[in-house]
Amino acid sequence: MRKSIICVIGLTVSCAIAVMQLQSCKNGVKQPETSVSKEFQFKEKLSDYGFFTGRIKELKPAAGLINYELATPLFSDYSVKDRFIYLPKGQSMKFISDGLLDFPDSTIIIKNFAYLNKNKEKVMLETRLLVKDPGDKTWKVMAYLWNQEQTDAERFIIGKKIPIELLDTKGQLVATNYQVPNTNDCKSCHVNNSKLTPIGPKARNLNFTRAGENINQLATWAAAGQLIGLPALDKVTRMPDFRDSVHYSLDQRARAYLDVNCAHCHTKGGDAYNTGLFLEYEQHDPNFLGIMKSPVSAGGGAGGMNFDIVPGNAKASILAYRMNSVEPGTAMPELARTLIHHEGVDLVVKWINAMNGQFKKSRN
Amino acid sequence: MYFNKLKIIFTMIKNRIINSILLLTCVAIIFTACKSNPEEKTSEFKTTLSFGPGEEDKIMEAFLSIKDSTKIQFKEGRYNFNRLSINQGKNIVLKGAGPDKTIFDFSSQTQGGEGMRITDVIGFSISGIRLQDSKGDLIKLNKCTDVVIDSVHAIWHVADSTSGGYAIYPVLCKNVLIDHSYAEGASDAGIYVGQTQGAIVRNSKASKNVAGCEIENTSDAQVYDNEFYGNTAGFLVFDLPGLSQRGGNTKAYNNYLHDNNNKNFAKAGSFGTAWGVGNAAPGSGIIILATSNVELYKNRIINNNSSAISIASGLTVDDKAMEKINPAYFPISRNISIHDNIMEMGNAFPQEAYTHHMGQMLVGVEQKLAQQDPSRKNQRIPFILYDGVTTNIINKGTVANPDSICIRQDGANIFVNADIINIKSKNWHPNTDIKPFTCK
Repeated sequence: MRKSIICVIGLTVSCAIAVMQLQSCKNGVKQPETSVSKEFQFKEKLSDYGFFTGRIKELKPAAGLINYELATPLFSDYSVKDRFIYLPKGQSMKFISDGLLDFPDSTIIIKNFAYLNKNKEKVMLETRLLVKDPGDKTWKVMAYLWNQEQTDAERFIIGKKIPIELLDTKGQLVATNYQVPNTNDCKSCHVNNSKLTPIGPKARNLNFTRAGENINQLATWAAAGQLIGLPALDKVTRMPDFRDSVHYSLDQRARAYLDVNCAHCHTKGGDAYNTGLFLEYEQHDPNFLGIMKSPVSAGGGAGGMNFDIVPGNAKASILAYRMNSVEPGTAMPELARTLIHHEGVDLVVKWINAMNGQFKKSRN
Repeated sequence: MYFNKLKIIFTMIKNRIINSILLLTCVAIIFTACKSNPEEKTSEFKTTLSFGPGEEDKIMEAFLSIKDSTKIQFKEGRYNFNRLSINQGKNIVLKGAGPDKTIFDFSSQTQGGEGMRITDVIGFSISGIRLQDSKGDLIKLNKCTDVVIDSVHAIWHVADSTSGGYAIYPVLCKNVLIDHSYAEGASDAGIYVGQTQGAIVRNSKASKNVAGCEIENTSDAQVYDNEFYGNTAGFLVFDLPGLSQRGGNTKAYNNYLHDNNNKNFAKAGSFGTAWGVGNAAPGSGIIILATSNVELYKNRIINNNSSAISIASGLTVDDKAMEKINPAYFPISRNISIHDNIMEMGNAFPQEAYTHHMGQMLVGVEQKLAQQDPSRKNQRIPFILYDGVTTNIINKGTVANPDSICIRQDGANIFVNADIINIKSKNWHPNTDIKPFTCK
């Protein structure tokens, strides 16, 4: 009895997939199921969505797919990331605050991870999808693992270690076991107060002019009707580029880096809520920021040190110590990092060492 | 349902509608009822799965795609995992063949903070499994409600600072029962309940950890019928500043805390550890730190050779504690009731106490008492040590016992007010007068 039910379900699913594949032959991004009440089903292959035209590896966006960048991106083992937003036809994103944009149902946020090999060739690793399910209005995650031939990526939930040799930002060849996250790892960072949400596409982190462009990214979208409700740009907070020491102060850059790399967990309602260490860009409470704050549950991860941040002394600061480690149980962030981000560590070390005993609360 | 029963118990504890004897009887009856029918009917679960050793990948996949109302059974044998996680779900049961039979080994962990991570699950039970040798914590339950951890052994075979912090680690949870479990080798606390509302730890053991069991910023906890031995400190009730909630309303009774005289190996670096469990002096039975409404009774506290029971304020470990007062933190311990415990102590401090910053303080108190009163020459430090930091320092009061410390213990050499605030001044005067602190 049970077997026959499984058979029927299996048949239905494979029929549905077959039908979808037939439909996806048309050019342009195919509209997912239009019936609003229906629950979103992740497809088996990345190519099934029709996000890209031509050779899929080149990630050429089909009509309607928005390519975007972030001022300060999350570090993930020096991987090269391409980011896209798919909006259902005729729909737009809404500006509601400096934080996350408001996305319409059936939005798909796509993030592709690749690395540069020793010949400076881009090798695809995985593609992660965040979908706003029109059925229950919640966001859902899925990862797709690229095949050896680099011709497509397949749905993959259990995570994987991939041994690679990559070029870092300084052009050094580094060997590591890249970790494709499992779907629960995705949730660890993306869940806040029991709700899964996107992290990257916050207005303040999108509020800049991309290299090679003349117009601000948000303004471009607003002009194209893809984003509505955008106020005058000087009214929108701008997340500093952590690499840009010309336009931003050391404090601004370090705080931007900590926000983007840590604050999805280190915030109230985040996965590290229990630690009482909160690293959001807006955070002003020195204790929440870790200044002369004793850790709560770091155990040996604290390296025997007493405080998260000792102003003027990065060597005695747990925050810098854990960023500078790859040991499980010590390394922070816990996930998506098997290598030390030297540029990030340098920045935070400088920031802590430049801090006076009296931490300045105000910031421009 | 198991989980519903758990909820009823915790509601009773919280409401305190009935007196504790009646409560205990109820608890006993309810759980005896469970025991007499240990196999949950499979029909209670929408999905029942069963796995054996060698099926680790399938198990990982089952965890990742788990649906509400799932029971997973694990056959006897050894399983090797990098790490395991469940994130979001309802009514999930993991059941092994027994803690000596079903073994989850996490020694190949390469990423993440723990071997097993359970997040945001309502109705979670794990039983009959041994978890061992992860790099981080062994099992962490974050933001879960109605949790049962029964017959789980969580062990690091090498007990030193390379061990993870916590063996059994529920945090930010509601209604947790830890029963018939064992924790060994944690570089922080073996059984650690943090920032949780409603917890029972009972019939459990902990050994070779820095702290056997710790209840931290947790409200409405009951700890009874346990044995904590061979740790640095047996049992801790701590509140720390800057966290999501305040602890308090903790009862510990019928526990056997003995021979907790080990080195404090929480220290792992070169800067010294002066926070949390690093403060536990080798040779401590029970330590109460910066928390309120604690009742300790009918415990056997034997051969913890630095202090049977210590009551301390946040100020003793943190000069800035008073600045951190807010609705979720108050550094001075209040309403502490200690009665009818059996206490014994060995002839001398453990050697390890002499090299620990808090241990040295206790040694100092014993020496000072002998100096003040030559008739005490060969007497040990009294069983109960109170740091003497009271709300008088806030209120500028002069009452002898403003914070309702209440002690009812027979025998001699029971109590010392260590006058810690003056320890570095020439006016330092530890005082063994128990009268102001005797229960009225």
